[in-house]
Amino acid sequence: MQNRFLPYLLTLPSLFLAAVVIFWPVWDLIQISTHDVSRFGQLRDFSGLTNFSALFADPDFMAALWRTGLWTVLVVGGALLLSIPVAMILNTDFYGRGLARVIIMLPWAVSLTMTAVVWRWALNGESGMLNSALMGLGLISQNIQWLASAETAFPMQVLIGILVTVPFTTTIFLGGLSSIPDDLYEAAALEGATPLQLFREITFPLLKPFINIAIVLNTIYVFNSFPIIWVMTQGGPANSTDILVTHLYKLAFRIGKLGEASAVSLVMFAILLVFTMIYVRLAMREQRT
Amino acid sequence: MSLAKWTVGLMAGMSMLAFAAPADAGEVRVTVAEYSAKTGPYFQDVKKEFEAANPGITVKFEVVPWEVLLQKLTTDITAGTNADLSIIGTRWLIDFVQQDVAEPLDGYITPDFKDRFIDTFLSPSIMEGKTYGLPIAASARAMYYNKELFEKAGIAKPPATWTELQEDARKIKALGSGTFGFGLQGKEIETDVYYYYAMWSQGTEILNKDGTSGLGTQGALDAAKLYKSMIDEGLTEPGVTSNNREDVQNLFKQGKVGMMITAPFLSNQIKEEAPNLKYGVAAIPAGPTGARGTYGVTDSIIMFKNSKNKDEAWKLLDFLFTKEQRAKFTQGEGFLPVNKEEAKMDYYVNNADLAAFTALLPDARFAPVIPGWEEIAQITSDAMQKIYLGSAEPEAALKEAAEKANGVLKK
Repeated sequence: MQNRFLPYLLTLPSLFLAAVVIFWPVWDLIQISTHDVSRFGQLRDFSGLTNFSALFADPDFMAALWRTGLWTVLVVGGALLLSIPVAMILNTDFYGRGLARVIIMLPWAVSLTMTAVVWRWALNGESGMLNSALMGLGLISQNIQWLASAETAFPMQVLIGILVTVPFTTTIFLGGLSSIPDDLYEAAALEGATPLQLFREITFPLLKPFINIAIVLNTIYVFNSFPIIWVMTQGGPANSTDILVTHLYKLAFRIGKLGEASAVSLVMFAILLVFTMIYVRLAMREQRT
Repeated sequence: MSLAKWTVGLMAGMSMLAFAAPADAGEVRVTVAEYSAKTGPYFQDVKKEFEAANPGITVKFEVVPWEVLLQKLTTDITAGTNADLSIIGTRWLIDFVQQDVAEPLDGYITPDFKDRFIDTFLSPSIMEGKTYGLPIAASARAMYYNKELFEKAGIAKPPATWTELQEDARKIKALGSGTFGFGLQGKEIETDVYYYYAMWSQGTEILNKDGTSGLGTQGALDAAKLYKSMIDEGLTEPGVTSNNREDVQNLFKQGKVGMMITAPFLSNQIKEEAPNLKYGVAAIPAGPTGARGTYGVTDSIIMFKNSKNKDEAWKLLDFLFTKEQRAKFTQGEGFLPVNKEEAKMDYYVNNADLAAFTALLPDARFAPVIPGWEEIAQITSDAMQKIYLGSAEPEAALKEAAEKANGVLKK
């Protein structure tokens, strides 16, 4: 009897915490999104799903939805591709490794907003560092207006997104790499395995659980990442770099449509929830077999 | 499961969880916008002086950056933890009045008190015959021009019309060496306003007489085409849509821009950051019929209906709107005087820059008092960015924007 309830009893405190921090706001959001709501959050008449249908009829929302997907895939994918070699290099023993690790980790220590502010200055068309550097190297003959249009602004934002995601991802991979016993490599090397084989047959398979963790966590962070895009372009010009969070912020706090904004945030929540459930399930199934 | 940060929900949720500050008797909480680095210290001084003169009342100022002010007020009001008084953009006032969160001040206002104000600035805070706010900050826009560039290009005086402005911009562009004729703002707050300067000079208003959006008119189209042609001809700085007001002001301070339209506070900034810059302030250029318009802005300080210390809060308002306090604040921030007696002070009378601004006040338009104004401003800014970028033709972008704006207006 006692044994059956004990696990539940033990998880109760964290469940309670989750209820306060997660379920309550979600419940609140559901309330707001299904009502006609004043700009200060006072609920008026029940309006069913009109807020949701208004969203899906809004081309700006649909564009932001697709762009969020692109943004997440590019930043998470880019960060993974970059972090694996970085982690492998940092895992080898070389002179100055401590310093190299610090340099890689440094962007993590700076607040995201500050990073974005600094990049906004660096990308300024007339007095930005990047233009004067490129000019000095003779790579361009005319200033590039990086943030003036989405064609240049969005790729730069993705690059910065990757840059700030690398430290965290590298940390996960470093942990993973240090858990791989050295004898595996030694044995394989004795058998004459090439470095590529070592990576394909040993490093990558053993790193997989860590890659899965990195994918899930990064997807959640990047999907919801607000500062980079907001600080640099506020989703502009003309909403052409908007992702869902910036779209939501404008809806809620600039235009005052709290109902629709809550609906956006529920849609985001649902997308992340479904993604995480599917991914965790797939990853776990793979591990069992 | 580690979970998402939802902006709205979490903030609303957290602010409800946050302990509501106990309303001490005699404590007046005030949310104020941070206009510059001088705002915080000014209100600290107010606190000291006011508390010394009014024992028993304590004042608590919450200084909030302007960009997050509306967001803070929204979440505070939603959670019922708002202060007693707050500075708000007067263009938001209608929402506050309609949602019944602003207290009418007429019960406190004596004829003497009312007489302190310049009518132009007090009237935007009056709605349906009731005064809901007092203008704590007032501003207008005029054209700054770089005298040195004008001299080099052989231009005798600032342009009176947009046609002259285009010619002058061509001459300045011809100087080469990274100088731009006209600084055009195309990003963030007031991108729409920058377009209205041209639109107003075409005789078009934000709202037509029948209450529909003015964006669908010929005048609006001509104004958009004017700016677009200037961009295409290279008369503006490059990358218009990456420059917000501060970016264009910086270009002006660096002496790279010949002309730009902005607020009086640029004079203060130039005095501190670029004291050697030779500049002048002139009227906003007129259109073919001589019509012109500048943007008038006031921020109001309002009292919340749910305040428990209204009498104490009023005492503070009374104190804030004395001539001495007003002069100190207005001069520090580079605003225009709202107090009649203050306006007669030497500081304002002998100031050529400010004189150019006050001369434009008869042509000043304030943001229209309509619910959904912020949304219409956003729609207009988006349309302008599309036109500036060339991703939409002016006709199509304006037609779409007018339809959207009319949709908002009908609600």
